[in-house]
Amino acid sequence: MQKSVRYLFTLAFGFSSLLSLAQNAQCILTLSGTVYDNENQPLAGATVVVLPNGPGTTTNNRGRFELKNLCEGNYQIEVRFVGFGSYRQEIRLGQNKQLTVSLEPDETALQEVVVEDHAPHVEATSTFNRLSGHELQETMGKPLGEALRQLAGVNTIQTGPAIFKPVIHGLHSNRVLILNNGIRQEGQNWGAEHAPEVDPFIASNLVVIKDAAAIKYGSDALGGVVLVNPAELPRDPGLGGQFHLIGASNNGSLITSGFVEGGSKKWKGLGWRAQGSIKKAGDSRAPEYVLSNTGFEEQSFSLAAAYHKANRGIDVFVSHFNTNIGILRGSATGNAEDLANAMEREPPQQTMPFTYDIKPPRQDVQHTLFKLNAHQTAGKNDYRLQYGFQLNVRSEFDQRRGSLVEIPALGFRLFTHTLDLEWQRQHHARFQSNWGINVMHQVNEKIDGTQTIPFIPNFTHNAIGLFALEKFTLTHWTVEAGLRADLRNYDVAGFDFQNQLYRSEIHFQNISGTVSAQRIVGKRGSFTSSLSSAWRPANLAELYSIGTHQSAAAIEYGLLLDEETTQVVPFENSGVKPEQALKWVSGFTYTGNRLTLDVAAYLNYIRHFIYLRPRGVTSSLRGVYPYFRYTQTNASFAGADLSVGYKLSERWSMNGKLSYLRARDVEENDFLIFIPANRADISIRYESGKKGVVSWYAESGLRWIAMQTRAPRVITPRQLIDATAQGIDLIAQNDSNFDFMAAPAGVQLLHAQVGITWQLKNVKLEARLAGENLTSESYREYTNRMRYYANETGRNFILGLHLSF
Amino acid sequence: MKNKLFSLASLLLMAGALVFLSGCDNDDPEPENVPEVVTKVILSFTPTGSTTAITVTANDPDGEGPQSYVFSGPAALARNTAYNLSISLLNELADPMDEEYNIGLEVKEEADEHLFFFGWTGPLFSNPAGNGNIDNRADAVNYTDTDSKGLPLGLTTSWTTANASATGTLRIILKHQPDIKTSTSTATDGVSDLDVTFNVTVN
Repeated sequence: MQKSVRYLFTLAFGFSSLLSLAQNAQCILTLSGTVYDNENQPLAGATVVVLPNGPGTTTNNRGRFELKNLCEGNYQIEVRFVGFGSYRQEIRLGQNKQLTVSLEPDETALQEVVVEDHAPHVEATSTFNRLSGHELQETMGKPLGEALRQLAGVNTIQTGPAIFKPVIHGLHSNRVLILNNGIRQEGQNWGAEHAPEVDPFIASNLVVIKDAAAIKYGSDALGGVVLVNPAELPRDPGLGGQFHLIGASNNGSLITSGFVEGGSKKWKGLGWRAQGSIKKAGDSRAPEYVLSNTGFEEQSFSLAAAYHKANRGIDVFVSHFNTNIGILRGSATGNAEDLANAMEREPPQQTMPFTYDIKPPRQDVQHTLFKLNAHQTAGKNDYRLQYGFQLNVRSEFDQRRGSLVEIPALGFRLFTHTLDLEWQRQHHARFQSNWGINVMHQVNEKIDGTQTIPFIPNFTHNAIGLFALEKFTLTHWTVEAGLRADLRNYDVAGFDFQNQLYRSEIHFQNISGTVSAQRIVGKRGSFTSSLSSAWRPANLAELYSIGTHQSAAAIEYGLLLDEETTQVVPFENSGVKPEQALKWVSGFTYTGNRLTLDVAAYLNYIRHFIYLRPRGVTSSLRGVYPYFRYTQTNASFAGADLSVGYKLSERWSMNGKLSYLRARDVEENDFLIFIPANRADISIRYESGKKGVVSWYAESGLRWIAMQTRAPRVITPRQLIDATAQGIDLIAQNDSNFDFMAAPAGVQLLHAQVGITWQLKNVKLEARLAGENLTSESYREYTNRMRYYANETGRNFILGLHLSF
Repeated sequence: MKNKLFSLASLLLMAGALVFLSGCDNDDPEPENVPEVVTKVILSFTPTGSTTAITVTANDPDGEGPQSYVFSGPAALARNTAYNLSISLLNELADPMDEEYNIGLEVKEEADEHLFFFGWTGPLFSNPAGNGNIDNRADAVNYTDTDSKGLPLGLTTSWTTANASATGTLRIILKHQPDIKTSTSTATDGVSDLDVTFNVTVN
């Protein structure tokens, strides 16, 4: 009996040895595993390679990786991810092996990681920048656009001190895609005064992708993509949360925000989070006067829940955003004469004592988002199904006659349904496919009763997009290629200048593609380069808009309006083409012990670029107006971004950032208007290191904003009116671009901050005091539309208290 | 359990997709009344003691569209004659039976927030003298109507033409001055609701 057992054992052992021999011969071993960050959250997009020249791969959305067809032997495995120190391990592979790797944040890159930090959905070969950790925390309470301005290459278009739109490499509005928690943000974002309806407090990191590619996210992203990524929900039982209280001196604002999150004990894998923010601010103050009616208030909340099992999960997310923003009262103008008066006055007209009251002109915007996501991993395949619903309600109130003041002058409801299906397949250790379908159904309707001719028409918009993205991972190289096809259909019903109904149907179709590569240079550097095409159909405002925007005494009208008859022409006869961009971006990043470097250069050539071109002067019964018409041209945007950090010693570090951009209307050989000026930032920071439970830091910096010298000629409203009175139309004589006012001079702004952290057992308390524009510089910023009327805000002190548990 | 959850999620997604594909309504939107658009201004100069007015109009059928307004010739006034001027503001995008048609009535109702300013070139009038109150609010204009606070409005005014032939222009500005209309508020305060210039002859 014993003998037979031993015999059996020997046989089994021998057989398995034989098997393993066979395996050796065929190299069929698999090394799989999961990569986590320091907070034990799975890290997506981390690179895993077998050194010195074995295969490599990247982790999927759940941090999983799999390297197949390996031979038996000794290997060195390297795992790396931007912002984290790379990890190496010697392994002996005799059979299939599971590996769990935890990456530690790179101390030079992220000194204070508050929340878990990863960038889902970012491809390795993308050129991107991220705002997270203490850098994100230091922007808390600021609007999304202003927060993103911390990144090199990102600027803002402003309307007053509270309305910021992000500008990536000189492009904004419909040319920048914002993914709010994975859902394409859909609002009325055609106007320069339409800020994204996102509360940045929901995010644990903000990522800006600067490639035009963004094949996965859909069309339109000619400038780039902004990802607003919340932290992953907890999977383990227990409660956690954060609470923030922030006050600012300049506008008397008080901002509170917080969240509570937890994991269920009973249902392992069930996690939830409830989050909310309340913001209230009064008038901002320029150094010399109050900027009347620039206060705002905002309330928002979000609820999230997710249930995860080993290879599948679902998550639900609901958020609501509500804001009421005042627009400088002195910017309310009726005609060019009013504009001339408003521009010549300082302080602006109707400057009143400081108040929290918000009167017309103002905007009232609500945005509601519902998202349901299900994902499953089955062997080599990874499936993701996502449904999103958004309702955006925008009302803009102007100074109107009598009881009309209570009625919005512009009001729209935008309903958007999106359905995304994505399939990722790891065919092979070095070869990965990612295919998907994006479907969108959108309805825009005017809010009845505005008693104005609607600025844009009602429409029903259906879109479908298909994409395929193939990725090859080699030892030092990662190469990606993608293709996308889009179909879009609009059914439009609106009213022309004479309040007559028109209806039309518009179709767009397009194919775009991308090729990109990343090359690892040494142990700490990587070089990426991409060439991508992107397209954007003219949006409905560009096609049909009629009327004037808040705080712009100019008439705008769309590509499809006939100048002579002022009637709407059919799309087929208009010769309007979608914008076509070809963007090349190359970047190099280096993460050393002392030096961190991130440099990128780009060239974006856009055919059929749509912009507002001055066309002439008209005398309506309300007075003289310049009028602008959306026009197509060819434009180029070229520039470079640089971020550099250097650790002088254990405690001292320096940081510098530079954004440089040259934009041009190539066809007309003219400058474009509202192109952000070049700027540079330099700062020095001291970190105390941890002494018992306390640590503190101090930082001071200088921001230099150059004068925009590449700006179009100037025609003041006064010159326009005087010439019109003499029967001369200055614009019809020469219809090259012009600005009402010369670009403002450059400026240096000094800021400083100190912060202290108490890390108790389970509670972390942080206090931060920051000062902005410390020398109370009087200045104007080229890309702020308020610059025609008033100075920028003066000195501002911010006090923030942050509690996390 | 997890299978059930997953299928539940899929079901919800399918339901979403259904909502998605349905619900396209193609009804025409309702047109808005546009009570703030002035498409026609009529000046009626009525000689004192007469009922026959001399009228001139400025017509801008596309409102805020890029086409400029057109006049019906100069206002031909007789020399050394006293006239009452009344201004009609019409919105011809509205039906003549609608409230929105006669904007002058609305301006009258909200007289506390509105003020007409007048300015002229050439020696058109003997009374008021000067060139009007657009450049200087203190200059003379003979308002014959007032708001509830006793401040002038300007829908009706009185004029006496010069005793010699003259040609010139008459510019009329209507300012919307909510909360800021005073006895000294000027033609550069507030927002312009109307800014129109007519040719005038005196013979």
